[in-house]
Amino acid sequence: MFACIHGRSVSKSTADSGARGLTLVELAFTFSPLVEETSAETVVLDVAGQSLLFGEMSSRTKDESNVMSNIANTIVRRASHLHLTVNVAVAANADAAIHAARAFKGITIIAASDELLHLGALSIKHLDYSLAAIDEKRAEEFHETFALWGVRTFDDLAKLPLPGVAERLGQEGVRLQKLAQGKSDRRLNLVRPPVGFEQSLELEHPVIELEPLSFVLSRLLNQLCANLNEYSLATNELRLRLVTERCLEYRLQSGISAAYEKGPTEVGILNTCDLLHERTITLPVPMRDAKTLLRLVLFDIEAHPPVAPIIKVAISAEPVQPRASQTGLFIPLAPEPEKLEITLARLAKLVGPENVGSPELLDTHRPDAFRVIKFRLNQRSGRNARIASRLALNADERQRDCAAGGPAMPTFSVMGFRIFRPPWAADVQTIRGQPTRISARADSSRKVRGQIVCTAGPWRASGDWWRADIWARDEWDVVVVDPASTEHEVLCRIYRDLSSEQWFVEGIYD
Amino acid sequence: MNALVKTRIQLQIADRFGHVFEQREKRPLEILPTGVAEIDQVLDGFPRGAITEIHGTASCGRTSLLLSALAAASSSEETCALVDCSNTFDLSSAADAGVSFDCLLWVRCNNNLERAFKAVDLLLHGGGFGFIFLNLADMPAKTLRRIVSTWWFRFRRAIENTPTVLAVATPVACVRSCAAMALELKCEGSVWPGADAFVAEEQQRALRSKSEPSSPHLWLVASNDRYEIGSSTVNHSHFLQALTVHVNRERPLAGSDRTVRFAPHSP
Repeated sequence: MFACIHGRSVSKSTADSGARGLTLVELAFTFSPLVEETSAETVVLDVAGQSLLFGEMSSRTKDESNVMSNIANTIVRRASHLHLTVNVAVAANADAAIHAARAFKGITIIAASDELLHLGALSIKHLDYSLAAIDEKRAEEFHETFALWGVRTFDDLAKLPLPGVAERLGQEGVRLQKLAQGKSDRRLNLVRPPVGFEQSLELEHPVIELEPLSFVLSRLLNQLCANLNEYSLATNELRLRLVTERCLEYRLQSGISAAYEKGPTEVGILNTCDLLHERTITLPVPMRDAKTLLRLVLFDIEAHPPVAPIIKVAISAEPVQPRASQTGLFIPLAPEPEKLEITLARLAKLVGPENVGSPELLDTHRPDAFRVIKFRLNQRSGRNARIASRLALNADERQRDCAAGGPAMPTFSVMGFRIFRPPWAADVQTIRGQPTRISARADSSRKVRGQIVCTAGPWRASGDWWRADIWARDEWDVVVVDPASTEHEVLCRIYRDLSSEQWFVEGIYD
Repeated sequence: MNALVKTRIQLQIADRFGHVFEQREKRPLEILPTGVAEIDQVLDGFPRGAITEIHGTASCGRTSLLLSALAAASSSEETCALVDCSNTFDLSSAADAGVSFDCLLWVRCNNNLERAFKAVDLLLHGGGFGFIFLNLADMPAKTLRRIVSTWWFRFRRAIENTPTVLAVATPVACVRSCAAMALELKCEGSVWPGADAFVAEEQQRALRSKSEPSSPHLWLVASNDRYEIGSSTVNHSHFLQALTVHVNRERPLAGSDRTVRFAPHSP
């Protein structure tokens, strides 16, 4: 049993602002998943097996015409709610339903084997040649032939003798005659339902704690991941939208409330301005594991909690092709991307997101200039190339030194340096500009104090003279011996800030 | 033991103790090279699936050794993690040592020991890291001695049967029996250049006039922006040529000492 909807689709832009504009296809999908978009103004849907939904349950009978009528009425009613004016025809044959919906206004119900009764009086001009897989040029030839033969209605064509039609018009003519009889047999050319990877849920009661929210999120993410799995897709971006309740003096409780201990004024401002709490979680690799996604979302909510109780949760996923990786025997060990992402989220929660990541040296001579970027696996950026080129330059420089008769630099491992952040302020005694004694202390347990027994320097460095934070300093490498324990020598780098004339301990060679 | 006899004994006691011989068979020891030839000749490297402790006083070469190991691990594209308890990791020297930052996860704990241990625990249980470096080198010895042993036992349990190396740098030995390998490092001294070899002739005259023969100081250069030695620029590697470190293996107990020299980097 097939239903055909014929009408003009309302574009989404012109739709009523209150309700989202629906096309005929989307309207059809609200009744059946088996939908054919025959043309821009015509869709056909298979409504077989919907007697339980649309039948007269009170009479406990399965009268087919009754079911067909109910389906057609429901379609018209739903279309009118969406401001669509449509003709609906329900028939046992899809092509008969199409012809009826195009030709007759309102609702047309065609019972099985009554097709010719309803369509017989239709002009032959209404015959859709494309349903018989006939192109336009050939269709014009057929039309002229029918006019010469005096065939003016569906009934005329249907009653022609089959052998004569086959002999003169071939198989195409036979197919056209079956169309006119309403007895054609073809499968629907189905369209896939619109893919929307978004799940939402309105809550009966506002949620103020993380645990109940996790159950809601789990349900939504499970459904979302099932949809992705159905289409063999994954996601690399999750968008979380939490609609919060408007309330002025509300203090959240327990787990997600730690960040909310703010003054009532601030809370009020936030609540009146931010009713919608939106977060976007970008994933390094496409994934569709609901448990992993749930943990990441929960970590994100803990780090960036909403400011008021939640009354609606919506979550959407950006569909992408899943990750395909080739493993091998000789590929070095690496964390699984899903596990790594959870570990990074936990670490960010533990020490702060600014303290977790991959270090990157900045392209400047300013000492200790770096930044921390998000750690990603298998990321071979230009930084490696820069470091490699820098090391190559150093090696070349050493070779040039050796070639020029300079000191031979054996291939030792590089000496490590531990830098103090911030540098320790130091009191340094000097004799004729040379440091001889130092006393610096970071706290009660960490200090550098004693006699300077060996000194090399200074090495003057400066930069950024065109900026407000200009820096200039004289660096020294010194060996400090603590008089309390003469065996313990500390090899450190100290510097004198030329702008403030203050001495600092920059770090220790180790 | 004869394999036949071994099988017979195992069958006899299997009801009470299970397959004891099979359970006690250990996998062959896998190692991660340290990147320092002198140490690798003796130790082969750090054992995988175990804790390695490197302890010593300040300027004893702990960081140099671990930077070499990090460079060796990152050069073989192992994923590395550095849990920096006191936030003293110097990127410039690490880059000169050859550490690839692309495969290095840096966790800064801002002198919070508990966070550092929790971070290591997360990394070990997350799995997949080839080399994890816990830097406690700047923590007070008193604090480190108070670390409860359960942390180390937990780490040892989490890391066994994995290909991960956990290296801990401390000022004093504190991992105790949980460390499969313990190295004690001592500084034998720094190597300084002779002044004449590094200073341009016009500067040498000035230096000779300034220098005091009885002073132990190296009077190398005056405060000018740049000095040219031959065709190259003077930098720290010309002032301080090397740091000589004595490495003593304390655990396992087969004693083996080595002396290593680390050259300074060129900022």
